[in-house]
Amino acid sequence: MGKEITIEPVTRLEGHLGVQAEVSDDGKTYTDAHSFGTMFRGWEIILKGREPADAIWITQRTCGVCPTPHGIASAMTVDMTYGAPPPPMGIALRNLLMSAEQLYDSALGCFILEGPDYSQAIVEGSNPDWWEAAQTADASGAEYHGYATIADIMTALNPISGALWVKSLGVEKVGRKMAALLGAKHPHVNTLVPGGIAKTLSPTDLEQYASMLSQHVAFSKEFIPVMDDLLDFVLSMGYEDAGARESNLVSYGTYEDPLAYNANYADMGEWAKKRKVSPGVILDGKLVTQDLIEINVGVQEMVERSYFEDWDDLRVKEDPVGNPLTKYHPWNKHTKPAPGEYKKWDGKYSWGTSVRWLDWKGSGELNTVELGPLARMWATAIGKLVPESTGTSLKFALPTATVVPYRNSAAMEFEWKIPEKPNTVERIRARAYWHAYTSYVTYLQVLQGLSLVKDGNVKVWNKYKKAKDGIGTGLHEAMRGGVAHWCLMKNGVIDNYQIMAPSTWNSGPKLGESDLGPYEAAIVGTPVSENGGELSGLDVVRAIRSFDPCLACSIQVYRGDEKIVHIAEI
Amino acid sequence: MSEPEKIHVIWLPGQACTGCTVSLLNASHPNVLDLLTGFIPQAAGVTLDYHATIMAPWGDEALKSVDAAQRGELEPFVLVLEGAIPDESLAKASGGYWCVIGEDEEGNPITFSERIDELAKHAAAIVCAGTCASFGGIPSGKPNPTGAMGAMEYLGKDWKSALGIPIINVPGCPSHGEHLAEVLAYAVLAVRGFLPLPDLDSDHRPMFLFEHTAHENCPRAGLFADGKNSHEFGEAYCMGTMGCKGPISHCDVPKRGFVEGVGGCPTVGSPCIGCTEPEFPDPPTSPFLAKAPASFFVAEKIRSFGGSADAVWSRIKDALTGRDI
Repeated sequence: MGKEITIEPVTRLEGHLGVQAEVSDDGKTYTDAHSFGTMFRGWEIILKGREPADAIWITQRTCGVCPTPHGIASAMTVDMTYGAPPPPMGIALRNLLMSAEQLYDSALGCFILEGPDYSQAIVEGSNPDWWEAAQTADASGAEYHGYATIADIMTALNPISGALWVKSLGVEKVGRKMAALLGAKHPHVNTLVPGGIAKTLSPTDLEQYASMLSQHVAFSKEFIPVMDDLLDFVLSMGYEDAGARESNLVSYGTYEDPLAYNANYADMGEWAKKRKVSPGVILDGKLVTQDLIEINVGVQEMVERSYFEDWDDLRVKEDPVGNPLTKYHPWNKHTKPAPGEYKKWDGKYSWGTSVRWLDWKGSGELNTVELGPLARMWATAIGKLVPESTGTSLKFALPTATVVPYRNSAAMEFEWKIPEKPNTVERIRARAYWHAYTSYVTYLQVLQGLSLVKDGNVKVWNKYKKAKDGIGTGLHEAMRGGVAHWCLMKNGVIDNYQIMAPSTWNSGPKLGESDLGPYEAAIVGTPVSENGGELSGLDVVRAIRSFDPCLACSIQVYRGDEKIVHIAEI
Repeated sequence: MSEPEKIHVIWLPGQACTGCTVSLLNASHPNVLDLLTGFIPQAAGVTLDYHATIMAPWGDEALKSVDAAQRGELEPFVLVLEGAIPDESLAKASGGYWCVIGEDEEGNPITFSERIDELAKHAAAIVCAGTCASFGGIPSGKPNPTGAMGAMEYLGKDWKSALGIPIINVPGCPSHGEHLAEVLAYAVLAVRGFLPLPDLDSDHRPMFLFEHTAHENCPRAGLFADGKNSHEFGEAYCMGTMGCKGPISHCDVPKRGFVEGVGGCPTVGSPCIGCTEPEFPDPPTSPFLAKAPASFFVAEKIRSFGGSADAVWSRIKDALTGRDI
């Protein structure tokens, strides 16, 4: 065994995460890794016994970086549990809330969290060969973003002083302001309620929103060319294998069709296919299913290497349409925390859990999959459920937007192509293109909202009568990948509520001895690019940050019998 | 003018969601760059020595400043806490931990609360960002599985820094970005002697931000006084009939908005959930769609009657004796 390094805390992510990695004897490659969550709160335990509606507010607070998708997943879960479908305008406004957060969050990921790893401040010292090459590497998109060389882009990425860093901070705030317009505040939007949205729609809300959206459209036309130039350069320095893992990915899809969604589980497979971002399971690069009901039934959460106790009972044997559930499906999960030893690699070592997708209709095997913008762009591009999908790419155009001080007002065409494999660079590129695709989809949504208004479809909420017992789920996408909630209600209160964030899948520990979690698998095989000074683990943190970790919500709380239980929210 | 003395900021997250950090980035006047680059000399010299979400370094290198502050070698520093503090004795009982930040030289984990124990000995001031750090927040919601609590409970309500400054709470879930920015700017000016210590309420919230309730600050309160209540979401009247906890929550968000004046909970039509209060998220702030206690309305009506009588009497007085102004 070569050198071992522990990085705790891994910074520039949401939450508490540590990672241990081993380097080969020749110092050229990472050969083993353990990803571990180091904080637990117990949300699922706290939710038990409360009204399901309260979960809409409480679950957002698992994560202050990506609260809105939790809120929407929860609102959908409670819609279903109560039998309270919203009117079309309620769904249209939820979509616009969702978009607002995505726009801020993709810029945050690329520039504040991940960007510094490719900035002059870090590259000059740790990858001096990159820095030297960057001086003379022309940026092919200079006409769009104004940076002549890759070195100029790297300098603009410097924290606090860099022009791109500062600019992104400003445009991120515009995204959260869009969320505040319709959601009262952000983080933690306040207007999501069962059956729709608690927003008094003013006649000019959509125009105010569109004005702010235009800034993001204009920003995207600089953002994408900058990231393409930077990432193509990084690839050219021999970075294809960094953070690479097999092409196993899952997307739940998102951006509901306001006229199709009915909060009914039996119809979920159908309305989810009408989303502007498609559901899909991709195994070994091949599309296995686009049926959200089939995807839901395959979700499995295990605690073998986590600070939680296992459970035996099977409370929900079938989903509402009769598909068989295992005891590891979240509707059956118990959250029983059992704090254990720090860094016990041969036993339980994380507050995170091991989530896998069971190919229950096919091979019957558990698959380690990753979630994220790469997964959902991939599923949408391969899926051909939306007109922008070509089977191998997503093609779309951003409209004209004249916004001071941005450079490109003319309409601009984009094509995001499915990469050869998931790796550090392609995860970041997908996050950037996600900003452009979201800007495009959101523009269409604003137009659709105006059509609803024109048709007199302005009701934002349907009155409902709370049921006593119910079961529900809400599966869609957060910035970092699929987010899903599950609820069982008895006597009007929560009997079991489960939260599964994308980072729950991605950051999880091993299962058994050799089945690595996605972060771990991405680190193993990553070449060491650092050649300036003592090994800092730069390629490890780059690989991890390419997933854009959001640990607080990835560890869940569940409840077992009387006491607790456990939760892991990393 | 000579280089201002540095004031270090250590921003330490515990059982947090990072929402208060994101919210701080919403602040405009002052904004984060103003705080860090110091336009006016009295507020200049602030350095953010540790903030896990935005700092460049990672691992041991990142924690060097925190370790130095714990040893008393980074003075003066303001400690900003984000997130609740769990009771590690509960986790230790089974040989584990709830919340770890880094390791000692032997590779043993250091808990969030162990770091607070040391930092509290040297901090010039402690500012709690958000309801979790202030009062425990959602992690402390019943049944409080990890024994989570706020700093005032953990360190004691009478705790004072070496400069004699008590714990300052800036609650809210998340705290309002401008509240945080203003309080941090205030703290810097107070540490340097340009401002007196802020007046705090009994829950250690600065009065200049938290004196009045959300209801008192609400643009819909006038409609309530006029007898207009909402009975469906989407309506433009008082939200008290739809579960609004404005009458029992100390908050100016309805008036201030949330991001550059935009938003505000009842302002846009959603019920206040009482997120600035020590009881949040337990009753009486929840269930969030349940109505706030009726006793408030009785008391308000009595006060309101006094106000109306005063308004009428002042007009009669003008008619009788002429107007003074």
